Amino acid sequence: MTPVNIVLGVIGFDCHSVGNKILEAFFSEAGFKVTNLGVMVSQEEFINAAIETDARAIMVSSLYGHGEIDCAGLREKCIEKGLEDIILYVGGNLVVGKTPFAEVEAKFLKMGYDRVFGPDCDLAKVVELLKNDLDTRQKGND
Amino acid sequence: MIEDGIICIDIGSTWTKAAMFNLSHDRFSVKSRAVVATTTSHLPDGVYAALHQLQPEYDWHSIGPAPVPLRFSSSAKGGLNVAVVGLVPEMTLHIARLAAFSAGARICAAYPYRLTRSCIAAIEQAHPDILLLCGGTDGGNERYVTENARAIASSAFNGTIVYAGNNQAVDQVRDLLGERDLRITENLMPDFGRLNIEPVRETIRQVFLERIVAGKGLDELVRRFDTQPLPTPLAVLNLVEAIGNNVPGWERFALIDMGGATTDFYSFCEAYNPDSGTVLKGIVEPRIKRTVEGDLGMRVSAAAAFDTAKDFLLQSLEDSQNGYADMQSYVDRLSANTSYLPVDLAEQQYDRLLAAACLQHALVRHAGTIEEVMTTKGPVMAQTGKDLRHVNRMIGSGGFLAAMGRAGDILELQSPKPAESEKLHLLPENFEYYADTEYVLPLLGCLASEFPRQSAASAVQYLTRMHHNEQVKEFSHREFTHA
Ligand code: B12
Repeated sequence: MTPVNIVLGVIGFDCHSVGNKILEAFFSEAGFKVTNLGVMVSQEEFINAAIETDARAIMVSSLYGHGEIDCAGLREKCIEKGLEDIILYVGGNLVVGKTPFAEVEAKFLKMGYDRVFGPDCDLAKVVELLKNDLDTRQKGND
Repeated sequence: MIEDGIICIDIGSTWTKAAMFNLSHDRFSVKSRAVVATTTSHLPDGVYAALHQLQPEYDWHSIGPAPVPLRFSSSAKGGLNVAVVGLVPEMTLHIARLAAFSAGARICAAYPYRLTRSCIAAIEQAHPDILLLCGGTDGGNERYVTENARAIASSAFNGTIVYAGNNQAVDQVRDLLGERDLRITENLMPDFGRLNIEPVRETIRQVFLERIVAGKGLDELVRRFDTQPLPTPLAVLNLVEAIGNNVPGWERFALIDMGGATTDFYSFCEAYNPDSGTVLKGIVEPRIKRTVEGDLGMRVSAAAAFDTAKDFLLQSLEDSQNGYADMQSYVDRLSANTSYLPVDLAEQQYDRLLAAACLQHALVRHAGTIEEVMTTKGPVMAQTGKDLRHVNRMIGSGGFLAAMGRAGDILELQSPKPAESEKLHLLPENFEYYADTEYVLPLLGCLASEFPRQSAASAVQYLTRMHHNEQVKEFSHREFTHA
């Protein structure tokens, strides 16, 4: 079976690169073909990469506290560019300060992200969820 | 054999130029040269006439091998026209343009995403020699290339199709276009952001040989002299690469070739310095890059260039009375008679201004930009495209620049006034200017892949260093012949 393509990157002007490297290694190990755009990635770059690579999911990271502004509108742009079916995950330190995670999660779900993760999420669990989500979406399309 | 000399010929759209070179002490030197009008109906006639000038004692019309080895390039009939079809404009479509230009081709149209019916109609209308179809990384998007292949299959386009897209879509593309002249080559972006343009270049070169050589008599030259022609821009590109790789002091330079119809710009330098503290947006452009501007030229494209550079020309002619209107009528004269040469000082000045305008715009389009963006950590510089700031030498070639006389005006005028935009154009900051006054570049370019060191060293030696406002000896085609 050909591997599923996913795109990975740290959004906005965020240059926290350590987590990004870990995610790349982890998802590659789990059998995905990862296009890692690295740090300081704009929404357009995520979308361009997803189109060319025919990615099924985009993994957005935001660590520096401006996630809310940076991440808003990505879903709409994806739809605009013909990526109606793409799965969007977001994770990291998504907001500044100590907002309860449930609130943060609700905010990003509302923006159109399929799943939202905090900094201490279990990546093995994330992979499992992603595989499930891909299956469900596949079935939905068949 | 090479000890007895080697002959290089460049068949241009107007002139066929030739020179006999001697190789000694690792340098080529010009032994004799010739120039004749290109005989468009049957190209070998002009070539034989030029050869006769070089070596009158030899009977060039007799069948038989040449007394010395011979190499040639051709840009007769405008070279090779390519339409490029890619996916994302900044990604595969942009890379496809770079690849086509670096194969020596001209680009007549470029389309991203899906080919609409009007795109197909435009392609049929333009009937390019080659349609370069790409899109998707290997294992990436298949939908667009497949749909586009289907659209091409049901079109009347019957030129060569070069496929350089997603390798997983090859079967579909072959099923759809197998009846056409289809060449399948490696993906020009196998992984996202990774360029692989060499195989496409080679395929286009191959098509050039087959398509261009046949018909205009070039096949006769190929058979007689047992050598394959190069597209002239590819010969120049090979030479640029040879110079950059071999000649100390020429590690970062650019070459501008200004013709009547187009302005070609070549650069040799690293596109991006990761240690500069600048972040790069998009792809790292190749070290050797060529772009062609079809709306910038000295004669056929004079009117288009005049339009494009309107702001610059208005500014330059601000102080002179009627300057702009007078130049307009000069440009009208050029359009009516594309072999017109300036007859007085004012017209010479208009030619120089036109050249400066072409240079300026070609440079700005070739070069990348840098933009300051504010972040939580303060300002960050974001670069797109190729950084030419450290280019420290510039070569002007082509009849117009070489014959322009004074370099100073062009040098002063080329630096664009800081634009109002926040984007900074990454233009050369400080460079020495050289002119190919001896018209040797395309000729030595024919030798560049076989003799990179020797041809590069010789090319540099034949260039004339220009200084500000210096009156250079005027070179004309006549002098070229009798030199
Ligand atoms: C090292 C560091 C830096 C270094 C970064 C060096 C580098 N090249 O990466 C430097 C000094 C440059 C830096 C700068 C800044 N930093 Co800092 N930095 C840190 C620090 C100490 C560690 C980050 C790290 O590497 N963690 C280890 C990796 C493995 O974890 P991670 O990045 O969180 O990633 C994991 C998870 O989050 C998750 N994940 C991440 N993305 C995604 C996406 C998905 C889809 C999923 C499923 C999971 C997931 O998986 C990853 C792997 O396990 C953190 C504090 C901390 N302990 O986290 C602050 C921290 C991230 N920084 C912070 C700040 C504020 C800044 C600055 C704005 C400070 C400033 N004013 O200068 C700048 C921002 C610069 C910029 N433009 O980005 C804050 C962010 C506050 C917030 N979000 O509320 C933090 C949390 C410190 C704090 N407590 O205040 N920083």
